[in-house]
Amino acid sequence: MDKVNLTIDGKKIEVPAGTTIMSAAKMLGIKIPHLCYHENLPPISSCRLCVVEVEGAKNLVASCSYPVTEGLVVKTDTERVLNARKIVLELLLSIHPIDCLTCEKSGDCKLEKYAYELKVSSSRFTGEKNIYLIENGNPFIERNYNRCILCGDCILACNEVQYQEILDYAYRGFKTKVSTAFEKPLLETGCVFCGQCVRVCPVGAITEKNKKGKGREWEFTKVKTVCPYCGCGCEIELNIKEGEIVRVTSDPKSAVNRGNLCVKGKFGFEFINHPERLKKPMLRKSDVPTCAEASVGGRGLKSKFEEVGWEKALNIVTEKFKEIKEKYGSEAIAGLASAKCTNEENYLFQKFIRAVIGTNNVDHCARLCHAPSVVGLAKAFGSGAMTNTIAEIRKADCILVTGSNTSEAHPIVALEIKAAVRQNKGKLILADPREIEMTNFAALWLRQKPGTDVALFNGIANVIINEKLYNKKFINERTEGFDQFEEALKKYTPEYVEKITAVPAKDIILAGRMYAQAERGSIVYSMGITQHTTGTDNVLVLANLALLTGNIGRESTGVNPLRGQNNVQGACDMGALPNFLPGYQKLDNKEVKEKFEKSWQVKLPTNSGLTVVEIFNAILEGKIKALYIMGENIMLSDPNINHVEEALKKLEFLVVQDIFLTETAKFANVILPACSFAEKDGIYTNTERRVQRVRKAIEPIGESKPDWQIISELSTRMGYTMSYNSPGEIMDEIARLTPIYGGINYLRLDNNEGLCWPCPDKSHPGTKILHQEKFTRGLGKFHPVEYKPPAEETDKNYPLILTTGRVLYHYHTGTMTRRVEGLNQLVPTGYVELNPTDGEKYGLKDGDSVKVSSRRGSILTKVYLTERVASGIVFIPFHFVESAANILTNDVFDPEAKMPELKVCAVSLTPLK
Amino acid sequence: MNKKRIKSFTELVNYRNSLKEKFDPNKIYLRICLTGCRAYGSMDVKNAFLKEIEKRKLKDKVEIIGTGCHGFCAQAPVMTIEPRPSVRSEGEPGGIFYSRMTSEDVPEIVEKTLTKGKIVEHLLYEDRKTGKKIINSLEVPFYKEQVKNVLKNCGKIDPQNIDDYIRNEGYDSLAKVLQKMKPEEVIEEIKESGLRGRGGAGFPTGLKWQLCRNTNSFANKKFVICNADEGDPGAFMDRAVVEGDPHSVIEGMLIGAYAISATEGYIYVRAEYPIAVQHIKIAIQQAEELGLLGENILGTDFSFNLKIKEGAGAFVCGEETALIASIEGKRGMPRPRPPFPIESGLWGKPTVINNVETWANVPLIIQKGANWFSGLGTEKSKGTKIFSLAGKVNNTGLVEVPMGATLRKIIFDIGGGIVGGRKFKAVQLGGPSGGCIPEEYLDMPVDYDSLQSIGAIMGSGGMIVLDENNCMVEIARYFLEFTQDESCGKCIPCRIGTKRMLEILARITKGEGKDEDIGLLVKLAKMVKDSSLCGLGQTAPNPVLTTINYFLKEYETHIQDKRCLSFVCEALYTTPCMDTCPVNIEVHGYVALIAQGKFHEALDLIKERNPFPSICGRVCHHPCEIRCRRAEIDEPLALRALKRFVADHEIELERGKIKPKVEKFRAEKVAIIGSGPAGLSCAYYLIRRGYRITIFEALETPGGMMAVGIPNYRLPKRLTRLEISDILNMGIELKTGVEIGKDISFDKLTKEYNAVFVAIGAKKNVKLGIPGEENEGVIPVLDFLRDVNLGNVISIGRKVTIIGGGDSAIDAARTSIRLGTKEVTVLYRRSLEEMPARKEDINEAKLEGVKIETLVAPVRILSTNGRVNSLECIRMKLGEFDKTGRRRPIPIEGSEFKIDTDMVIPAVGQAVDFTFLTDKLEITEEGTIKVDENQMTSYSGVFAGGDAVTGPETVISALAQGMRAGEAIDKYLNNGKVSEEVVAKTKISYPTRALVEEEIEVAETKRQIMPTLKKVERVKGFKEVELGFTKEMAITEAKRCLRCYEKE
Repeated sequence: MDKVNLTIDGKKIEVPAGTTIMSAAKMLGIKIPHLCYHENLPPISSCRLCVVEVEGAKNLVASCSYPVTEGLVVKTDTERVLNARKIVLELLLSIHPIDCLTCEKSGDCKLEKYAYELKVSSSRFTGEKNIYLIENGNPFIERNYNRCILCGDCILACNEVQYQEILDYAYRGFKTKVSTAFEKPLLETGCVFCGQCVRVCPVGAITEKNKKGKGREWEFTKVKTVCPYCGCGCEIELNIKEGEIVRVTSDPKSAVNRGNLCVKGKFGFEFINHPERLKKPMLRKSDVPTCAEASVGGRGLKSKFEEVGWEKALNIVTEKFKEIKEKYGSEAIAGLASAKCTNEENYLFQKFIRAVIGTNNVDHCARLCHAPSVVGLAKAFGSGAMTNTIAEIRKADCILVTGSNTSEAHPIVALEIKAAVRQNKGKLILADPREIEMTNFAALWLRQKPGTDVALFNGIANVIINEKLYNKKFINERTEGFDQFEEALKKYTPEYVEKITAVPAKDIILAGRMYAQAERGSIVYSMGITQHTTGTDNVLVLANLALLTGNIGRESTGVNPLRGQNNVQGACDMGALPNFLPGYQKLDNKEVKEKFEKSWQVKLPTNSGLTVVEIFNAILEGKIKALYIMGENIMLSDPNINHVEEALKKLEFLVVQDIFLTETAKFANVILPACSFAEKDGIYTNTERRVQRVRKAIEPIGESKPDWQIISELSTRMGYTMSYNSPGEIMDEIARLTPIYGGINYLRLDNNEGLCWPCPDKSHPGTKILHQEKFTRGLGKFHPVEYKPPAEETDKNYPLILTTGRVLYHYHTGTMTRRVEGLNQLVPTGYVELNPTDGEKYGLKDGDSVKVSSRRGSILTKVYLTERVASGIVFIPFHFVESAANILTNDVFDPEAKMPELKVCAVSLTPLK
Repeated sequence: MNKKRIKSFTELVNYRNSLKEKFDPNKIYLRICLTGCRAYGSMDVKNAFLKEIEKRKLKDKVEIIGTGCHGFCAQAPVMTIEPRPSVRSEGEPGGIFYSRMTSEDVPEIVEKTLTKGKIVEHLLYEDRKTGKKIINSLEVPFYKEQVKNVLKNCGKIDPQNIDDYIRNEGYDSLAKVLQKMKPEEVIEEIKESGLRGRGGAGFPTGLKWQLCRNTNSFANKKFVICNADEGDPGAFMDRAVVEGDPHSVIEGMLIGAYAISATEGYIYVRAEYPIAVQHIKIAIQQAEELGLLGENILGTDFSFNLKIKEGAGAFVCGEETALIASIEGKRGMPRPRPPFPIESGLWGKPTVINNVETWANVPLIIQKGANWFSGLGTEKSKGTKIFSLAGKVNNTGLVEVPMGATLRKIIFDIGGGIVGGRKFKAVQLGGPSGGCIPEEYLDMPVDYDSLQSIGAIMGSGGMIVLDENNCMVEIARYFLEFTQDESCGKCIPCRIGTKRMLEILARITKGEGKDEDIGLLVKLAKMVKDSSLCGLGQTAPNPVLTTINYFLKEYETHIQDKRCLSFVCEALYTTPCMDTCPVNIEVHGYVALIAQGKFHEALDLIKERNPFPSICGRVCHHPCEIRCRRAEIDEPLALRALKRFVADHEIELERGKIKPKVEKFRAEKVAIIGSGPAGLSCAYYLIRRGYRITIFEALETPGGMMAVGIPNYRLPKRLTRLEISDILNMGIELKTGVEIGKDISFDKLTKEYNAVFVAIGAKKNVKLGIPGEENEGVIPVLDFLRDVNLGNVISIGRKVTIIGGGDSAIDAARTSIRLGTKEVTVLYRRSLEEMPARKEDINEAKLEGVKIETLVAPVRILSTNGRVNSLECIRMKLGEFDKTGRRRPIPIEGSEFKIDTDMVIPAVGQAVDFTFLTDKLEITEEGTIKVDENQMTSYSGVFAGGDAVTGPETVISALAQGMRAGEAIDKYLNNGKVSEEVVAKTKISYPTRALVEEEIEVAETKRQIMPTLKKVERVKGFKEVELGFTKEMAITEAKRCLRCYEKE
C-alpha cells in the first residue's frame, strides 16, 4: 500500500504510507507545536508537545513519530490535547529559569514561542529545580543546562548525525541531564566543536559563545552563501547585524550539508573582520629587501610596506607588467590563480594572463592536490572529476576510503560515510597509514606503508579477478584493455603485496571480496592518493577497481576524489590551468581556439604554459621575471619552500593580491587588497561539481576590492578593456564559452541545490552521476600499472618516512583559521606525530622539542606521541609557518600530472635539549 | 559433564527412558529450596543433611535435591520429604512438609523421620484457622488451593541438571513441534489457547508471533527475547521460574523461535539476580551440550542460539524498546512505538519479546493442548497466573491460581490473611505501575480486563497487601518515588510530571497539603498517563489515581485534619498507640515514665484521660497494642499490663493520699442515667469542669457492666469499687436503685437538669431463636454473669454448653468451670480465627479446660420434662464472604449431631433496653439510640453514649463515648467553648513530650509474659488469674518501646 487516506481535524488527505501524522498535518496546513522534533534528526518524541488524539488509541500519541495508517482519524485541537500541551509547557516552565531577558535564544526559542502561542505564562506545578554550573571553558560553546528541556536533540545530533558520541543522558528520573562522559568539560572529551548541538538546541541551553551579546534572532539578516573552507561546499548563512557577521547558521535543506557544519564552517568566520585585513594597496618600501623571517601569517611586517592609493598601485603594476612583457616577452610573466576565489575571478584571471599578457603560464594550487585525478580519471573515464555526489555516499553498501583523513579534511563527507556505516549498515574499507578517526567506523582497516598504494590496489584487483568476483558483463560491454590488465596483475598476489605494503594478505583478500560483492561500491579518495610521484598511477589503480566491478555510472558508486579547497574544482573548470581553456577545452583544438579568440577578440597563445613547480624552476633559470599571484600562499603550501623562497627572491616583480599579508605577500613588490568571500558575489564549484552561489553579505573591508574588479581594472589599464558590471555578467560569458557550464546562470542557482555540471543548456537539470550510459571517453579503459616505490626512500641518515596533511581545526596555510582565536586555542601550533615506540627510541616525551630534517631543510617543532602513526612514520600538519612541513617535502613530481610528492619523504629527527 | 549430542527424536526418547530407569523409586528424596530460601540458610541445612547422611551411611537410601522455589517463602527455609517414609503407600502425592528449620534441626530429622519414619512436630506447619499441624505438603492450605502449572517443576527438580528436566517430559514439546508441527500450526495452537502476555499488558501471544512471522526481514534474521528484567518491588515470580526451572523458558523460546523463524535469542535478566544468571548460564550450556540449542537441533534444519544479557538494573529496561536498546549496548531508554519490535526490534530486525512466565507456558500448551489451557481461567484470560504475594499478609510467597480467582481467595485463603490480626486495607497489584484495589473489589475475579476496569493492571503479578498501618497517601508517594527515580528522563510528562506529583504527595504527607492539591494531582496524573512516551510514564500515576479514587477520605484527612490515621506520615500523628487509644491516653508518655521508674507520673498521665487505669489495665481490648510498631519487629508492647502495673502500684502504696477535689462548682446541673463506663467517664469529664452531676443507677451497685458483667477472676470487684469511688468522691451525687421511667420520669429529669446523658448500656439478652429456648436450664449469659457477680446462688449444670464467641461467652465458660461444672463447651459458628473474644482470654479458657468447637451452630434445644437434656447442632462450612469481609458460615446438610448437655447459656448478643425512652428519643434501625456528631439525641439537651448508642462494645469504647459526650455537653452549656478545669491537682509534674530524659536504649528483649495463677488454683474459685508485672518486668517491658514519637 503506497498511499493511505486519513482524516485530520475533519479534513481528508491522501499521503504516502509511512508519513507521520505531523507531516500529514503540515500538508493540510495544520500546525502542530513541537519542541524536540527536528527535520534533520530521527524523531525522538520526548517533549510530548506534539501529542494528538487518534481514534481508537488509548493514549495520546506523538504526531512527530506516529506513522499514519489507512483510515486513521486524528484530532489535533481537542480539549484533551490542548490540556496536555499546556501541562507540558507548565512543567517545563517549572524547571526553566525565566531569564529570557538575557537569554541568547530569545526570539528563536521554541519554548518561548509555544508559551506565547498557547498562552502559558506561569506554572501551577512549582517545585524543585536542578541547578547546574554553566560550562563554557572552551572557545565556542556555552552549555547552560539550567535552561535545558532535555529534548535530547543535541544527543541525537552528536550521536546519530555527527557520530561523535560526546553527549548522552546521565542519571535517571528528575536528575536526568545531558552530559559528557563523567561530566568532563567539552575540551577533554574529544568534542570536535561541530556545533551540531548548538544548531539543534531549541532553547538557550547550548549557544554559540562568540555570538553572546551580539544580537537577537530578529535583528539578523541572513545571507545564504557557501563556506570558504574545504571542497565540501557547504551552504552557510551569514547572520548579519549592522554590517557585522555575528554567527553562521545553515539551512537544514541545503543539498550538500543538510544544515550540518564543521567547526570551521560554524565558528571560523572571525577572520573576515580581523584587524589585520589588508585595507589599502601597499608598496614595499624601497629600502626594505625581501624579508624572510617566519611569522604567523606575515604578522608584524606591515611596517616594511607603505600604503598607497589604488591609482598608484595599479599604475605601478601596469607599468611593470608592460615593461617586462616588452623586454622579455609574454612568457616571462606567469600567474597563479586561486582555488579560493570565485569562478568568475578565476575565469577573468586566466583570461587576463592569456588574452592580456599573452601566455598560458597560468596555474594554481590544484596542481598540488588533484592534478593526478584530472589526468588519471581522464585517461580511464574521460573526465577528471568526482563521478558521484556526496549525498549518494550514505546509500553505498561498501565504501573504500583511501588517502583521505575524511573526518578532519572533509568533515561533511565524513558524516555521509559515517551514516552509511551506522544507519545503513554499509561497510567501510579504510586504507590509510594513520589510525585516523574513520578507522572507528571501518569494517576493515588496511594500514599500508606510505607510497605503496599501487601495490595494494593491484593486490585487491588480483583477488577480485582470482576469485572471479568481477563484473564480466560490465567489462565486456563498457570497457577496454581488460586482458592486458589481467595479465599485468598476475604477480600481485596478496602474499606478494603483503611484502610491499605490510598489509596482511588475508585483509587484502577480504577487502577484495567486500568491495566486489557490494551492490553499490563507492571509492572515495583524496590527497593521500594524489600527492605522490605515482599520483596518476594511484588514481588509475582505483579507476581499475571500479571498472573491474562495474561500480561506476550508478547511484552510490563511482570514483570520488575529494577536492581540497572550496573552489579548486571551479578554478580548474575555469581554465586556470596551463594546458586547458575553460571547461577543459583543449588549447590546440582549432574550433575552440577560434571561439575564444572571437569572443575575446585577441590571438591566443597555443603552446602549453608552465605548471606551478615548473614556474619556480623557470624563475630560477631566469626565464620568468614577473609573477602575479591571486589568493595563493605558496610559501607554505608548496613543497620544498626553501626552493620557492629562492625563486621569489629572484623575481624582478611580484604582485600578490590577497586579503592578508601572507607569507608569500611579504616578498611582493605590490600588494593588492582583495575582498573576502563575504564581501562579494560569485559562484563556487564544490568537489562534487556542484555550482553554488556566493553572495555578498557585507561591504568590502577598508578599500579592498573583489578580485574580479581588480583584474578588470588592471586589464583595462593594460589596454584590454574589461567592463563587467557584476560577476553575473562574467558568468554569462563563461556559460557562452564553456559547454559544461552552458546552462548555468545565477537565476537557476537561486535554490538550495545549485547545479552539478555538466549542464549544457538552460533546460538541463545538471548531472549528478557521470558516465551513466557511457563514459565521457566512450569506453572505460583499464590501465595496467606497475608498482614503483616513492621517489625518496629512507636510509641511515633519514630513517623516518614523513607524511603530511591537515588537521580539523586549521585550513591550508592558516591564513584564515589562524586568525580565528578559538581555532588557534584548540590547536595553537604545529607538531610532529610520533609513534610511542619511536618516541622511546629517541628518548622523547610528549611536548619535547625536536628538529626534523630532510634533504631540503629543517624545522623545529614539538613531539606528539600517538598510536595514530605507525612506527617509522611521522606526520606533520602543514598549516603552521613556524614549523612548516613543506620545508621538508620533496618537490620531485609525477611525470604526467606534475604533482609533487608531498605525502612521502625521508626525514630525520633530532631531539633538542 | 560432557554429554553426547542428541541427534534425533528417537535419541531424545531413549535418553529420557534411560533417565527414568536410573531414577530409584525406593529412595527418599529431600527437596530443599536452594534459591529463595538461600537467604534463610537453606544451604547450611543442605550441607548439614549431606554430613549427617554421610555419617549415618544413608547415601543409598536418601537423595538430596537442591530445587528452586517452593513458593511458601513466609516459611523459609522449606523442604519436602517424599515419599513419606512411614506410609510408603503407592502414589501418595505430596510429602512431608517441613519449614523454618535450621541446620540444628537436621540430626533430629534424620534420626526421627529418615530412619524411623516419624514426624518432627515442631517443624510442621500449623494451620492458622484450625490450629492443627499439617504433615502432607499438599494439605497445607497455602498449597491446597493453588494450581501449579508453570510452577510444577519449581521446588521439584534440580534446576542445575538438565536431566531432571528431561526426565520430567522436558523438551518433549520441542520435539513434538519439530517433528509434527509446521510453524503456522504452532502459532495456531498458541492462538487457540488464548495465552496472553504475562508481562503485564496481556497482549495475545499467538497474535504477536503471527504478526512477527508475517513481517518480512530482508536480512532474513529474526530474534526472540525473554524479558526477565523483573523490576517491580515485590515481584519475584519470574525470578523463581528462571531460577527453579530455566529449561521451561528455554524450551518455550525454542518453540517460539521455530514458530517465527528466528535463529537467535536473548534472555535479558537483571544482574541483581545472580542465581538466575547462574542457572540460566548452566541451562544454556547443558542444552548446548545435548544439542538442544545450537545448530541442527534434534537433527532437523532448525538452529537456534541463545545468549544471556545481564541488565544493570534499570526498571525501565523492563519496557521492551528500552530492553532492546540495552541489549544493543545503548542506554536503556524507550523509543516511540510504532514501529513495534515485531517489525523493528533488536538491531532493527523483527523480534518477539515475551516475559518469562509467558515463555514457560508455551511448552505446557504444546504438551497438553490449547483446549486444556483455555479450559482454565475466565472468558478472556486463560490459564493460570503466578502472583507474588507480599506485604502484610501471613503467607508471603508465590501463588499460582487459575485466572479469575478472587483476590480474597488469594489473600485470605491462600495468603492466610493479614499479619497481626490487623485490618486489610488494600492490595497494590502490578507493582508501581499498578493500582491500589480496596476491600470492595476483593471478590472480583482477577483477570486482565477486570483489573483494568478498576484502574489497576495485572502487571507482572506483584501483589502487595496493605493493612490499616499503611497510609495510602504514603503508598502512592512511595511508588511514585520509585517510578520517578527510575524514569529514564526522556519524556517531559514522566520526568517532570511525576516529580511534581511526587512533590505534591510529599507535601501532603508532611501536613503541608493544600485544598487544591488533590485536584491538581488528578489533573497532572491523568495528563502524565495520557501523554508519556512509554509504559513506565503511562502507568506511573496509577497508584496515585487509584488511591485518590478509593481512599479520597484519607487524602482529605491528611490535608484538612492534618492527621494520618495509619500513623505513617510522621508529621501527622503523635504515636500509633496514643492516636489509636479511643480516649487518647498519652501511651508512649506513660511507657517512657515507667521505663524511667516514674510510676506516679505515669499514672497521673493516664488519669488525664482515663479514670480507670486499674480496670482498663485488666479488661481493655487494647487497640493500642494492635497498632504498636514493635509488633512489626516481634510483638507489641504489653501496654495493658503496664497500665495495670502503675495502677496496682498506686493502690498498693499510695491509696489514701489526697485526691483531687473540685474547688468551685458551677450552677449547671447534669443528670447521667447509668453508672457504667460511659456514664462515669462523662461524669469524670464534667465534674472536673465544675458541673453538678447526679448519676441515676437502676441497680444497687454502680459500675454497670464493669461491675456485673465481668467476673472477679478477670476484674476483682474491689478494684472496680475503688476506682468508681475515687470519681464519686470528687463530688458526684449517685442515686442507686433508681429506674428512670419508673421511679423518676424522664420529663422531670429534663426539666430539673440543664443536660441529660443517657448511658444505659445494652443489657438485654438476645435470643437464639431456636426451639426449646424456654426450657429450664437455658440461662441467658447476662443473667448468668450478673447473678454470679452479685453473689447470687447458682446451681451449675454438669455439662454446660455456651453458644457464642464473644467475651461474655468465654467469661461464662470460665465461670462455669469455677462453679464446678464437669464439662464446658463453647460452640461458635465461624472459625477460631474469627472469634471476637480477646485472644488471651480464649487461650486462658482452653488452658482451664474449656472446649471450643468452631463451625458449629445450634438447631434446637431438646428437653425432658421441661428440662434441657441435649442440644442438636449442625456443622457449618465457610461460604462466600459477607459484608463484614468474613466468610459466611453455611450449614452442611446432614451433618446434624447431638450434644449431651444440661445447661445451655446463649451468648449471642446484647441489645439496648430503652422501653422508657421510645416515645422521647429517635431510635436507629439497629435498635440503638440515634445521636448526632456531638452525641446529642433527637431531644435537645439530651445526650447519649456507650453501648446504648454503639451496641455492645468494649469498656474503652464506652469510656470514649462518655468523654466525647462530656465534651459535647460542656460546649453545649458553655456557649460552644470548652471550659477550664477547676480541679486542684496534687501537682506532680511530668514531662509531656520530651519523655526520655536519659539515653535509654531500646531493649531487644521479648515481650514480658504475664504471670498467671496455676490451673489448680484458678478453678478453685474466683481469684484473679493474671498476677501483674513486677517492677522489673514493667521497666524491662517499657524499655521495649520503639519511641515512635522521636521523629526525624
